Amino acid sequence: MPVDIPKDKWPGEVRTVTLGAAAANGGTRGSVVAVGGEKALPFMHFETDTPHRPALAMEIMDRLPEDWSPLLLEFWGDTAKDPAVWAKAAEDAGADLIQLQLSQTGADGNPTTPDAAVAAVKSVLAATGLPLIIFGPGQADVDNELLVPVAEATKGERVVLGLCEDKNYRTIVAAALANDHLVTARTAMDVNLAKQLNILISDMGLPLERVLMDPTTGALGYGIEYGFSVMERLRLAALQGDAMTQLPMIVTVGYETWKTKESKVGQDVPGEWGNWLERAINWETMTAMTLVESGADIVVLRHPESMKRVRAAIDELMTVPE
Amino acid sequence: MADHLVRFDTAPAPVSVPTGTLLSDAAHRAGVDIQQPCGGQGRCGRCAVRITDGTVRRRSTLRLSNEDVEAGYALACQSVIEADVSITVPPQEKIERRLTTDRTAAEVQVPDSYDPAQVQTVRRVRLTVPPPSMDDQTDDWSRLQIALRKQVRLTEVGISVMQLRRLGHILRKGEWDITVILDSQAWDCPDCPVRLIEFKPGLMEDRDPLWGVAIDIGTTTVSLWLVDLISGEVRAQVAEYNGQIARGEDVISRIIYSSKGSGAEELRDLVLSTINGLLQSACKQVKIDPHDVFKATIAGNSTMIHLLLGIPAQTIRLSPFITAVNHIPTLTGRDVGLDTHPDATVDCLPGVASYVGADITAGVLSSGLDDTEKVTIFIDVGTNGEIVLGNKEWLVTVAASAGPAFEGGGVADGMRATRGAIEEIWVNGDTYDPSYRVVGSVKPRGICGSGLIALLAELFLAGVIDKGGNFNTNLDTPRVRIGEHGPEYVIAWASESGHGRDIRLSHVDVDNLLRTKAAIYAGFTILADSVGIPFEAVEQVLVGGSFGKYINVEKAIQLGLLPDLPWENFYFLGNTAIRGAYQALLDRHARERIKDIANRMTYIELSADNTFYEAFTSALFLPHTDLARFPTVQAALGAPIPQ
Repeated sequence: MPVDIPKDKWPGEVRTVTLGAAAANGGTRGSVVAVGGEKALPFMHFETDTPHRPALAMEIMDRLPEDWSPLLLEFWGDTAKDPAVWAKAAEDAGADLIQLQLSQTGADGNPTTPDAAVAAVKSVLAATGLPLIIFGPGQADVDNELLVPVAEATKGERVVLGLCEDKNYRTIVAAALANDHLVTARTAMDVNLAKQLNILISDMGLPLERVLMDPTTGALGYGIEYGFSVMERLRLAALQGDAMTQLPMIVTVGYETWKTKESKVGQDVPGEWGNWLERAINWETMTAMTLVESGADIVVLRHPESMKRVRAAIDELMTVPE
Repeated sequence: MADHLVRFDTAPAPVSVPTGTLLSDAAHRAGVDIQQPCGGQGRCGRCAVRITDGTVRRRSTLRLSNEDVEAGYALACQSVIEADVSITVPPQEKIERRLTTDRTAAEVQVPDSYDPAQVQTVRRVRLTVPPPSMDDQTDDWSRLQIALRKQVRLTEVGISVMQLRRLGHILRKGEWDITVILDSQAWDCPDCPVRLIEFKPGLMEDRDPLWGVAIDIGTTTVSLWLVDLISGEVRAQVAEYNGQIARGEDVISRIIYSSKGSGAEELRDLVLSTINGLLQSACKQVKIDPHDVFKATIAGNSTMIHLLLGIPAQTIRLSPFITAVNHIPTLTGRDVGLDTHPDATVDCLPGVASYVGADITAGVLSSGLDDTEKVTIFIDVGTNGEIVLGNKEWLVTVAASAGPAFEGGGVADGMRATRGAIEEIWVNGDTYDPSYRVVGSVKPRGICGSGLIALLAELFLAGVIDKGGNFNTNLDTPRVRIGEHGPEYVIAWASESGHGRDIRLSHVDVDNLLRTKAAIYAGFTILADSVGIPFEAVEQVLVGGSFGKYINVEKAIQLGLLPDLPWENFYFLGNTAIRGAYQALLDRHARERIKDIANRMTYIELSADNTFYEAFTSALFLPHTDLARFPTVQAALGAPIPQ
C-alpha cells in the first residue's frame, strides 16, 4: 500500500540575496553567490526544491590574530600575516565566500586607520575572485569610521558590510545604500529583536534583497539549543509570510566555537576529551551542521578541515533521493 | 490649469489660486494666519477650518472624526483646492476646545442623591446629658451611654481610654450639652457595635462639615482628598511624590529595602510623613485642624498598604507571591500613625493579589466596569500597570510592572502634572521645533506623563527617533545633540524654561518610556489572549492614571501604548483609585461593592510562563514589531503629504 507523505505548503518564502558582483554588473568578482530562496524548511526536498545550498565562508583577518587558538595559527602559519595571501589560501581551501574581519588596532598597536582598512580590503579583492563579507572591529564608532571609506573604495562590488546592530545601523546602511553593497544585521538571539532591526534597516530604504540577518548563535554546549530555536522560529515566521523575517541567515560558527575551552585549550584538560585538534574540528563541524539544519544560509568557519567536512555533509543533505 | 476663488471669512478679499493649491497656502496668500505647530503634516489638527461652500479634496483627515468631516471640517494643510470654496476659520481657542473632546477630564461630582444619613458610617449626634446630683450619682460614661440609648437608640457603644480621660471635662465644659461623633458599619441595626470617635462640648450645627479623607498611596504619587462627609463635597485635593521613592522606584526594590535592617520602619515613616504632610496642607487650605478628620479611606497597591501598616511584605516578592493580608480590618488613626483624630476610622480597601491591590479594586468601582454590559478594558497607567478586562459578569486582571515613567519618574526632566509641566506638545516635522502647552500657562519646568506620551509619538512621526527609539543625530537642528548620557532632544532652551536650565528628553529617557509602554501593551495583549477575546471585541477602554489631565488618544496609539481602536471608545478617568476611595469613604454600599469586586476578580500571574516576555519584546518598538496591529499608525506613516 503506498504511503502518502504529508507535505507542507507555505505561503511565504525567503528572499534570494546575491553576494558579489561580476564585471557585467559593475564589480570584479569571478564568482557570485546567491543564498536564500527557501520555500520550505531545510532540505525538505520532497516538498519543494532547495534553490540554493548553504554557502561556506572562511573567516580571515587584516592582521595576524594573536588571540586565535594556537591550532589555527599553527595551521595558517605565515599565510595569516598577509590578508591577500590568506584570502587566496581560503579560496584554495574551498570557501565560497571570504569574511574579512577588520581589527581594532594594527600590528604596531596603533588604531587601524581608514587607509589601512581600505588597503587591506583592496588587496583581498585583488587576490581572490570570491565575494567578500567585511566586518568592522565591533565597536560602533570605529566600525563607522572604517566601513564608510571601505564601502566607498569598493563601490559596486556588492560586499556585505557588518555589523548592523539596533543601536548602530544608520551609518553602515547609508554606506551600503550609496555604494551598492549589502549589510548584515545582528541581534541577540530573539525573534522580535531580529525583526525590529530588519524593519529599521528597511525603513532607511535599503531593499531587503540586500540584507542578511545574523540571529547570533552559541557554540555546541554554549546555548546552541536556544540559537537553534530562534533560527527555526525566524524561518517558520518567514515561511508563514512575515515579510520582515524573510531574509537569509548568516552564522559566525568559527568565532563562536574557537573561543570555547574545548577548542582553545590543549593542556590540563581531562584525558577523555581526546585529541585536541580533532576535538576542535569536531566542535566547529558539529556546531555548523546543527545550524545548517536550523536554516542557516551562510556559515562562517575558521578551519579548512571543518569546511571540508561541512561541505561533504551538505553535499549529502542536498542529494535528492530517487 | 484652472484658477479658483477662495474666500476666507476673516480675510477682506478672496484670493485666486490654481487647482491643486494647498488650502493652507491659499490662506497664507490671503493673509489669514492659521497655526501649524506640526509643520503642516496633518498631525496636530490645529489648522482645522470649516468649508462653508464648495468642496476641497482631503488628503488626510487623521485628526478629524467622520462627524467633523460631515460638518465641513478640513485640515488646511491636508486639503487641496479644486473648485471655488468659502472657508470659515474658527478662533484658535475654539479649535483647542474641540481637540480636547477626545480626552475626557471628569470633574469630581458628589454622587447623585448622596444622603449621609443613609450611607455614611460616621455621623454626629447631639445629646443633652442629665447632669449628676447627690440624688443621681451615676458615673459620667454610664450617663452618656444612657443618653445615647434613650436619645438615639444605640446600645453597643465602645470608647477608647483616651476619650475616657477627656470625658468628664468635655461634659462639664459644654454644660452637659455634647456633640458625639460615632462610627457604625450598620446604622439600621441598633445592637450592632458603634465606636465613639470624638465628642465636643456644646451642640454643633447639623450642617457643620464633618471631615474625612480619601487617600491613594501610589508607588510614585500619593494623592489625598479632603472631603466634607455631610455634603459629600471634595474641599481640597493635594498630591505629592511618595517619600519612599528615594529608597527604590518600584515595589520590588521597596520590598527588598524593607527586608533589610530597619528598612521597614524607615519606609513606613517616609510614607507616613508624605501622607501627614498632604493632610496638613489640605487642612490648611480649608483652615481646619487635622485632628478634626474622623475617617480615612485608603487605596493603594498591596505593597504600599503592607509597608504603611508595617506588615512584612517579603512574601509578595517571592514565589508563590502571596500577600500577608488582602482584607484588612478597620483600624484607627492611632494604629496607623496618621495625624488625623487618633480615634478616626481608618479603612484600608481590600486587594485581590500581591500585584493587584486596593488601587485597582477601587479603580474598578469608580470606572463602573463591574456594572456594565459592555466588554471593557480598564488600564491604570501607573507604576504597576494593572489591567482589568471584563464586564458585570466576569473580571480578569494582570499586573504588568510598567515603571514610573508616565508619572514623570525615571525621566530626567519628568515631573508630575502640576504647574509648570508641559502637558501637551507638537513637534514641527520640518524644523523639529516644538510647541507646547504648560499647566498653569507659565514657563515650563519639566514634562509630565501626557506630555511625554505626546512627545515620544511626535518625535517618532517627525523622524527624530526611529522605531527602535534611536535618535537620528544627522538632522539639521541644534535640538538634537549629544548630551552627557548620549543623544538627546532639547524641548525647551534654558532661556525659555522656568528654572533656567534646558529641558531635555534623553536617549535613556526614551528607553525607559519604551519599556513602560511595552509592559502595558504586553499586559493588554496577554489579558485579551487569556480569555480568547480579539481586540475588536473590546467595546470600551477606560484609562486611569495620574499622568495629567489630558492624554491624547491618538498619540498614545501612535506610540503603541494603547490598542488601535476607534478613538471614541476611549475614556480618560484620571486617578481612578482615589475616586474609588472617595466613593467608599462616602458610601458604605460602595465599600461593600469594592469587597465584592475584590472577591470576583480572577488574577492572572504573568511570571508563570514566558508569554509575557515574548509580548513585551515585540511591544518594545514604535508602535509595535507587528505593525499590522496598528493600521491607523501605518496609515499615518505612509500617508502621502501633499506637495
